[in-house]
Amino acid sequence: MSSQEHIGLLGFGTMGAGIAQVFASAGHRVTVLEADQARLDAGFAFVGDFLAIGVRRGKLTEAERDALLARIEGTVNAADLADVDLVVESVTERSEVKKALLAKVAAVVGEQTPLLTNTSALSVTDLATAVPNPSRVAGLHFFNPAPLMPTIEVVRAVQTDESLVQRLVALVASLPGKEPVVVKDRPGFLVNALLIPYLNDVVQAYDDGLASAEDIDVALKLGLGYKAGPLELLDMLGLDVHLHASESAYQATLDRRYAPPPLLRQMVAAGRLGNKSGSGFRAEES
Amino acid sequence: MSNERKTVAVLGAGTMGSGIATVMARAGHRTILFDVNEANLERGLGTVRSFFDRSVSLGKLAAVDAEAAKATLVGATDLKELAASDVLVEAVFEDLSLKKDLFGQLDDIVAETTLFHTNTSTLSVTGIASGSRRPERVVGTHYCNPAPLMKLVEVADGRHTASWAHDATVEFLAGLGKTSVVTKDRPGFIVNRFLIPWENSCIDALENGLATRDEIDAAVKGSLGHPMGPFQLLDIVGMDIHQQVATRLYEQLRDPRFFPPPMVERMVAAGDLGRKTGRGFYTYDDTRLFGS
Repeated sequence: MSSQEHIGLLGFGTMGAGIAQVFASAGHRVTVLEADQARLDAGFAFVGDFLAIGVRRGKLTEAERDALLARIEGTVNAADLADVDLVVESVTERSEVKKALLAKVAAVVGEQTPLLTNTSALSVTDLATAVPNPSRVAGLHFFNPAPLMPTIEVVRAVQTDESLVQRLVALVASLPGKEPVVVKDRPGFLVNALLIPYLNDVVQAYDDGLASAEDIDVALKLGLGYKAGPLELLDMLGLDVHLHASESAYQATLDRRYAPPPLLRQMVAAGRLGNKSGSGFRAEES
Repeated sequence: MSNERKTVAVLGAGTMGSGIATVMARAGHRTILFDVNEANLERGLGTVRSFFDRSVSLGKLAAVDAEAAKATLVGATDLKELAASDVLVEAVFEDLSLKKDLFGQLDDIVAETTLFHTNTSTLSVTGIASGSRRPERVVGTHYCNPAPLMKLVEVADGRHTASWAHDATVEFLAGLGKTSVVTKDRPGFIVNRFLIPWENSCIDALENGLATRDEIDAAVKGSLGHPMGPFQLLDIVGMDIHQQVATRLYEQLRDPRFFPPPMVERMVAAGDLGRKTGRGFYTYDDTRLFGS
């Protein structure tokens, strides 16, 4: 597993760009499939900007950056993924979109080639039903920003072959600074299963007037040493992303702790999505 | 006012009381540490003094400043010795009738303008304030452990707290170098309100076999930017303390998220309280906390 792998990456959004960087920085080759050239350009720009910060801070040299970027290539043609060793899917969190794309890519790659999904909110077991040989499907769940967050969840679906789980654990462990955690295919896996109820609880308590958004964040940062307060974290994650994860987990469990609080829905309805829209719980419109 | 030297009485010479007395003495206030029990008082005064001595040996405090702080500190075992106090900080055992009774007695001893602060973590500020005939001067000021090192103080008004008392409290805390957040008189204020269900859900995840102790601690640190995992933190807090706080919050809120999972009771029954007993979720050779 220490040898160079050729990764077929589906999707070059924020998470896809981060995942491409993680694999390329560990010496692997990445071919990214996107719908059109504009999305590929945006993904490369995102990786380039991220690495520029690293160069400025002396974390990598310009030569290292150039070598890393040279290991990532883009394509809009699924046939270009024919020779990849593994596929990592990181497109929009919609079941039908992921299933259609996985089926399309499964028809191009080898019939035993692992198909991994970075879904955070959908069932890996359900996604696996979209392809032949579903035992080669598992979850490989990165946290945002993927280049900086050590944890990667390896999700074992009902169909997943045990040897694939072991292969992924070894792969993640071989990535510099990354730590695998093998988790069950439950809604939210491990981290989000814990995080979603906490964040929803904070939103409800804020709506109930417990304290100002700033004071809630300050209290939890100073009191518990968290790097980010819960409302800042929601602004970073994107309120729409959190709402979707929360709804999915609630539908799958009917556990009221996952039910999105009314204020969360209202913020999303009003277009206040957090940092990306310039307005959220803490982000101010400028 | 924040730079003015005041007389501050801290009631209760346990961990929190001696920590708060350290904060007051360090800020230059004339500090009286009170405890009804002479032995507790001596232990508490010793804790404060050794904190300053250690700060000097660690190079964090000049010897002259440590001596000055120690010189402002006196002990008392009789409430009458607190008559000159401008601010009282109550940090006695979490027993409502004890706290109410204390505030009632102090009404007759201190000036009418003396601020009454309660460091309760799980009781109602309003309930404690009802022990005083002047509940308008009672404010909840919840410090974090260890008080000399943690900047946060949660400020909560009771139903009858006057705005002058609230404002004077926030200003006083700023003068101590603390960061105050303003919250409501609701069970657990902010930090425990969210920490207790969080820790309980992590214990549930462990008990339900979602992942191992090490995996959960590593994943929480590695994905959420927490300084330590939930089980590392519980071992520092102590399972007995977690059980008490969780149970008290559950009794007030009747929300099952606050109720301690069955594993907590088993660990307490087994004496596996965490770092202080050498064994909790992890095992320890060194049972000292915070290097004390």
